[in-house]
This record gives sequence, structure tokens and C-alpha cells, in this order.
Amino acid sequence: MADIRKCQVLVVGGGPGGYPAAIRAGQLGLDTVIVDKHGLGGTCLNRGCIPSKAFIHAASKYEEMAGHVGEGALGISLKNAPVLDMAGVTAWKDTIVGKLTKGVGQLLKSAKVEAVSGWATFSDAKTCTVEMEDGKTLTIEAENVILATGSKETELPFLPFGGKVIGSTAALELTELPKKLVVVGAGYIGLELGIAFAKMGSDVSFVEAADAILPLYDSEMTRPITQWLKRHKINVHLKARAKGVEEKDGKSFLVFEDSSGKAEKLEADRILVAVGRKPVTEGWGLENMGLDMAGPFVKVDDQCRTPMRGVYAIGDLVGEPLLAHKATAQGELVAEVIAGHRRRFDPNAIAAVCFTEPEIVGVGLGPDEAKKKGENVITGKFPLAASGRALSMEGGADGGFVRITARESDHVILGIHAVGKHVSELSGEFALAVEMGARLEDIAGTIHVHPTLTEGFAESALAALGHPIHIPA
Amino acid sequence: MADTYDVVIIGGGPGGYNCAIRAGQLGLKTAIIEMRKTLGGTCLNVGCIPSKALLHASELYEMANSEFAGMGIGTGKITLNLEKMMGQKADAVEGLTKGVAGLMKKNKVEHFHGKGKIAGKGKVTVTLEDGSEKTLETKNIVIATGSEVTPLPGVEIDEKQIVSSTGALELESVPEKLVLIGAGVIGLELGSVWRRLGSEVMVVEYLDRVLPTMDGEISKQAKRLFEKQGMIFKLGRKVTGVEKDAKALKVKTEAASGGEEEVLDADVVLVCIGRRPYTEGLGLESVGIETDKRGFIPNEHFRTSADGVWVIGDTTHGPMLAHKAEDDGTACAELIAGKAGHVNYLATPSVVYTRPEIASVGYTEEQLKEMGREYKTGKFPFMANSRARTNHDTDGFVKILADAKTDEILGGHIMGPHAGEMIGEIALAMEFRAASEDIARTSHAHPTLSEAIRQAAMGVEGWTMQM
Repeated sequence: MADIRKCQVLVVGGGPGGYPAAIRAGQLGLDTVIVDKHGLGGTCLNRGCIPSKAFIHAASKYEEMAGHVGEGALGISLKNAPVLDMAGVTAWKDTIVGKLTKGVGQLLKSAKVEAVSGWATFSDAKTCTVEMEDGKTLTIEAENVILATGSKETELPFLPFGGKVIGSTAALELTELPKKLVVVGAGYIGLELGIAFAKMGSDVSFVEAADAILPLYDSEMTRPITQWLKRHKINVHLKARAKGVEEKDGKSFLVFEDSSGKAEKLEADRILVAVGRKPVTEGWGLENMGLDMAGPFVKVDDQCRTPMRGVYAIGDLVGEPLLAHKATAQGELVAEVIAGHRRRFDPNAIAAVCFTEPEIVGVGLGPDEAKKKGENVITGKFPLAASGRALSMEGGADGGFVRITARESDHVILGIHAVGKHVSELSGEFALAVEMGARLEDIAGTIHVHPTLTEGFAESALAALGHPIHIPA
Repeated sequence: MADTYDVVIIGGGPGGYNCAIRAGQLGLKTAIIEMRKTLGGTCLNVGCIPSKALLHASELYEMANSEFAGMGIGTGKITLNLEKMMGQKADAVEGLTKGVAGLMKKNKVEHFHGKGKIAGKGKVTVTLEDGSEKTLETKNIVIATGSEVTPLPGVEIDEKQIVSSTGALELESVPEKLVLIGAGVIGLELGSVWRRLGSEVMVVEYLDRVLPTMDGEISKQAKRLFEKQGMIFKLGRKVTGVEKDAKALKVKTEAASGGEEEVLDADVVLVCIGRRPYTEGLGLESVGIETDKRGFIPNEHFRTSADGVWVIGDTTHGPMLAHKAEDDGTACAELIAGKAGHVNYLATPSVVYTRPEIASVGYTEEQLKEMGREYKTGKFPFMANSRARTNHDTDGFVKILADAKTDEILGGHIMGPHAGEMIGEIALAMEFRAASEDIARTSHAHPTLSEAIRQAAMGVEGWTMQM
């Protein structure tokens, strides 16, 4: 007879949706259990955002140093080319991930949440059995259930993971730098990792089925990245369909069909497949719970409730955007809803950041999207080449800018976008501005520190109003 | 017949040139007078911009030497070419000052290179480079003459051995021993540059803390971090004189209250005890304007006591910051053109570009205590922020102060990587008179440093989650 644990809140999945839900529930005095098998922190902390950013950081520093060999810019010079120790980078990244996941465990403990390590399978909507690491099983009966099982990398049937073919997870575990890397998919994950490998010295090419890189952003936003790729002689094959792997004379090739339908192949030491992610809906008894689906996702309302009373779902499991901070916001919200607070998930804006070279930040609607929704818009753009702060940090030459999109009639800001070196940290102010319903005049009338990149935000608002200071109107 | 203008601006720094552009945009016939060869003032020529260029380069130099190995990047020996580092700084400055000159043209602002002087109501004389004089007639005069380094009695600045910030940006070699007089923003920034490039840096400060205008908790941690980086602080001490001999300098110090004399050796001494308004030879007496005890020209919405004479930037009250002057300039031009113009100094942020950076807006905890205002505090360390961890940059914290009853944000203080870029969010929140909950309930992208701001805001109501 297995043990039975009864609780008020059961969270399944310990990623950036699940663990904040559990902490918040614990803070609110609810008896909470969280079940996770693959390491607290989920994809984000163990195999996604965090290790990839550590990796990108190291790659950028390495590339920066390589620019200082001989007669270096800035007056810093290296005698010899810098040396990259791939195993060292991976080990450094692992120490960061280790510290952070351990930190999550501590946080759960101090919020008095019980963390169970194992795999949960539901037999009905409120009951699950956990197969624990030590082989024992535990049955949990919960008054409320928060499903936060997240998503996993999409595998292509004709390019299954294994051998030379890797996903983003395995790409972050390499201990040897691939000489030739072919990346299938030029969305943000493929580009972030592909660019990092290129900086470290891999010969990288991209194969993308759509007719543009980063299909979620307009071409004005992606142009600086396209230019960076061109400058670094990285081939991007657009409207190209990957077909499979071919082995010949001890070498591997990615076979694909180019935009004209011609069969082509690219030699590769590694093939990174980054064609998206899909919700994890199998293997944990979803079919026994009687929930509704919305396409591949679990269907929820604006309080993250499923049709089954007391069963909630959050994060990647319930739909786009598949972003850690969206999952976190929903997780906190659900805990508060369970505790009886009046909450609704209705953000004006969820910021998205691509840690590409240069970086991209987007909050809200771009001009094209806004027009499609029937809005009459005005836009303002400020090039970072005119920013003193950008110039003093070797930025500004990459074609970066800040762009603001506002409704013409009342100047309410509908979207804010930026591309350029170091722009990722502008995202907080952008999100707050859209969330608070700011108008152009609000941004223009807020003093922004000199010299910082944030001045570019104020200038873009002025530009939309027709009277920028640091660029000709 | 002299030319007649709507506005004549004396001083081409960030206050003056922004005022000129806005006046030009509003259709006012505008002239700007600047005695330096290039526009941009202290900020662009010998202040914010060149110092940031050196801070950027020296930070990379130090990081490459000390931190990259642990990340798996081997660099071998790194050499410093100071001449070249100075060269890239000069490039950045040149590009930007030229840009300002271009903006004057675009906005049809006439630019006079010379020293401007008020010569009675509606009259300004310009002494041009060749010594000749020209008189401009104008409806409005804007004083934007900025500030200059405050001298220290007994310590004569020669800009070679005993330098102000100007000379500290132009040193020809890395001094072995650098003594800073003053532990304010300028001293800590320039001290950081030269420490990173190899100087032993000692800082003498009259008060008992570094960054005396910042929040006390920030000051305390800043001192600890700068000490860890190798700076040596002599707090609560004053400099009574500097003796020069052929090679070295002897800096004589004593306790602020007198006694306990100590002599410090130095190759270079940097005087950075502050800045004072610059109004010398400006002809204020011709229109009856009097400065206050500290030399500032008082104003009421940029209007001075004299009809048709306005004042903006460092020459008048409010924080001595380039962006404050810029906004003064814009608002002043709008008032002259008959529109509304106002600047909220409480929401004016300030930044120290050290590593970590320090940024602050609104009230400090000490100010709130003094005012007797009831407040709550939320705090979050970058050690617990995942982006800071991945960037290997975890020193510092975010602190949010909010009204105990209404939750309105009263102050925000950030010490940490990119603090200067993040303070914009808190400044915007304060302009909106937002509550800490407004930030706490706004989704912040993951993984970014700005999540720490949100966590600190959550801390005001005690529901920080990541700590």
C-alpha cells in the first residue's frame, strides 16, 4: 500500500511557472506540494534561458577579446589569439546552473513547500501517483492542482536527435567546439545559439523554412541581425526545407531543398535542430483528467482555470507566448486565485527578448501588427548611432535603434521595440510604460539619465511627436 | 543695426544646445554662444562622454586580465596602449560634438564661437576669437554657462601633476600612485579608470562616507566593494596642502576635526570636491541679477529676477546633471514660446558609472527619515538574479522605498550591472506616481536584470519570491 499525502495545493512541474506558483501558495499559508523529476527550475534554469545566456556571455567575451589581437581597438592588445576551452565554458555554465537550482530548492523550503522528486501520473483530476527516485511510490490527493508541465524541443521525424543531430539541450552540453555547425531553424533559439557558436569560431550556416529569420519580428527589426550574419559570412538559406542526414566517407551532411526546389547539402560536424517547442501533454495522465484542449495546448480561462473545478494550468502548457516570465506571472496569479484573491491574467504587454547579436527587445505591437488590428498609428525611431552611451560602449555601429508605435488619435503607446547592443535591459521600462498605458508625452516628459541608452527611448517618443532633439526631425 | 533674435543662449553645453534645438523647432530665431571650440560643453568635451569611453575600455582590460580564465577563455598577456585608448576616446568625443554642430544647422540656430556677456536688457556682446566684439539684440537671454571645478585652497591645479577631472582624462601615463581628494561621483569614476589600468588609488574624503548624497546603504556597500577592488579610503579627513618636488607630490592631510596629521605620497593628485556655477564675466550686474551664497542664480520656472533673462542647468538650483540641464533647456524654450514647461527634479535619476554601476532616483532612506515620512522598503540582491549570475556580475542590490500608506514609490536605488539603464523604469514609475505594486504586477522579461527591480518592488509588501 503506497503512502497517501493530502494537500491543499499540488503543483506538477518545477519550472519557472511551477516553482513560483508553489512559493506564492506557500507564502499565502496553503499546504503545498510540488513534484518535479528533471531538476527544479525546469527547462529555463537547467536547459534553456540560463545556461544559454551564460554560454552567450562567454562567447561574446571571447569574440570581443579576439578583436584585440595585435593592434587592438580601445588600446588593449593581445599578443596571441585568445584560446577557448569549450569544456571550461561548459563547466563554468554548470556551476551557475548548479547554484541557481539549489537556490530554488532553498526558496521552496523557506516557503514551507514540500518538494517531491519523481514523476507524477494522474489517475483522476485530483489524484496522482508519484514514482520516486528511490523506487517507492507516493499517492497525492489535492484540493487544488496546478499543472505546469512545460514544453519540450520539437523533434523532426526525418532528423531525430542522436549522433550528429542535437537539440538545444545537447548543444549546451558540448565539450568540443563543432568546426562546422548547421542550424535548422532561424527562430530566436536557433539564432541565439548559432550566433554564439559563430562567435566562438564555428563555421555556422542556417537552414530556415520560412522566408525570413525571426518570423515574429518585422524586417526593420531583424535587419541589424541579418547584417551581422552577412558581415560574419554566415550563410542563411531561407525557404529551404531540411530533408535528412547523409553520411559519406566518414563525413556527415545535412540534405535540404533550397528555395528553388533544388537538392543541396551542407557538411556538418553537428546539426542543431531548433524548430520550436511543443507542450508536454503526454505521459502524465492528462487523458484521465477530463480537461479541454485548445489545439496542442490545455485550454484555460483568464484565471488559468480549466473546466474542472480546482484544476489550473499555466505556462507553456497553455499556449503562446512560450516565455518563462509569462509562466511565472501565471503561476503567482493562480496561487493567489486559490487563496481567494481577485486576480485575472490580462497583461497589456509581455516583453520578449532575443539575446542575439545585436539584441532585440519587443513589447506590444509593431506598426504592421497594429495596422492589421485597425489602428491608425504614428511611429518614432531613434538610431543608437546618435546615442553617446552606445558610442562609448562600442555600440551604435550595428544599425540598432529604438522604435515606438503609438495610436495617432490619443498617443497611447501600443508597442516599443529596440534592437542593438545592450538593449535587453531596456525591457523593464518598456513593459512598465505599456502596462501603465503611457502616452508619448509621458515618456518624453520623463527625465532619462545622460548618458544612457534609455535616452534613446525618450528620443523615440519625441520623434513620434515630430520634434526629436538629437536627430533631424 | 544689430541683429535681433528671439532667444540668445549663452553656453553650448547639454542645457544650452538642447534649449537651442527646441527653440529652433518652435520657430524662434535663435543664437547660441560658446567659448569652447566645440559645442557640447563639459559633458561632451571633458565630462560624461570621454569618461564613459575610458570606463568602458578600462573595464574590459581589467575583466580580461582577471575574470576570463574562469569562464574558459584564455587570453595570454594583455598589453595596454594608453595612447590608443585615449585615441578612441577622442574619436567618440569628436563624432558627438560634430553631431551637435550639425543639429544647430538643421534647426537654423546661429552659432557664435566666443565669450558671451550680458550688456543690459536685451543685449548680449560676444567677444570673438579674433578679439573683436559683436552685439546681439534679443527678446530673451538664456544663461546656460554651466559649472566649473571647485578649487581647493592651497592646492593649485596645473592639469599635469595636480589635475581636475579634465586633466585626469588626458594623463599621458598611468600614475603609480594616484590620490583623489573627494569621494564623490567624479572621483570614484576616474579613480576606477586608473585603478583598473594599474594605479594605486587612495581617496581622501572630508565626510565620513563615500558618495555622500546617495542612500546610506548604497554608500556603505559601495565603500566595501571599492575597497575589495583595491581602493584605499581615508574618510573624515581633509587635505591641507600639496607639496611639489621635482618628481613626487606630498599630500598633507589631517582629521576633519584637526590633528592626526598624515602625509601621503602621490604621482598625481586629482581634485574632485565638486563643481560650482560658472558666472564669471557674465555681466549679471548689468541686469541686476544677484547670485546666492553658493554662486547659483535663483529661478522661478527658469525666470531670473531680470525681465527676459532665463537660467538653466548647473548655473541654477537642482541636481548638477547633464540630463537635468537638457530638460531645463527644453522646458525653458517651451515657456519662451508660450507653451507649458516644467521639470520634476524628484524624478531626476543619477548614475555612477563604476563597476558595479550605481543609480538612484527620488528620496534616500535618510531623507525620508528626516522628513518624518512613513515608508516601507523592498530589497533584492543581484546574487539571487539569474541574469546577473550568468554574466558573472552579482555585486549589488535593488532597493525600493514606498509610502507606508499609499504605496507610492518615493525612491529607487540600484547598485549593480547596468543600473544606469534600469533606473529609467523607476524614474518613469515615479513620474506616473506609481505604487510599488504597479511594478510588482508588471511582467518583466526573463532572464534579465530588471527582474530584480520587480522582486524588490514585491518586497515592499513582503512577497518577494526569489529570495
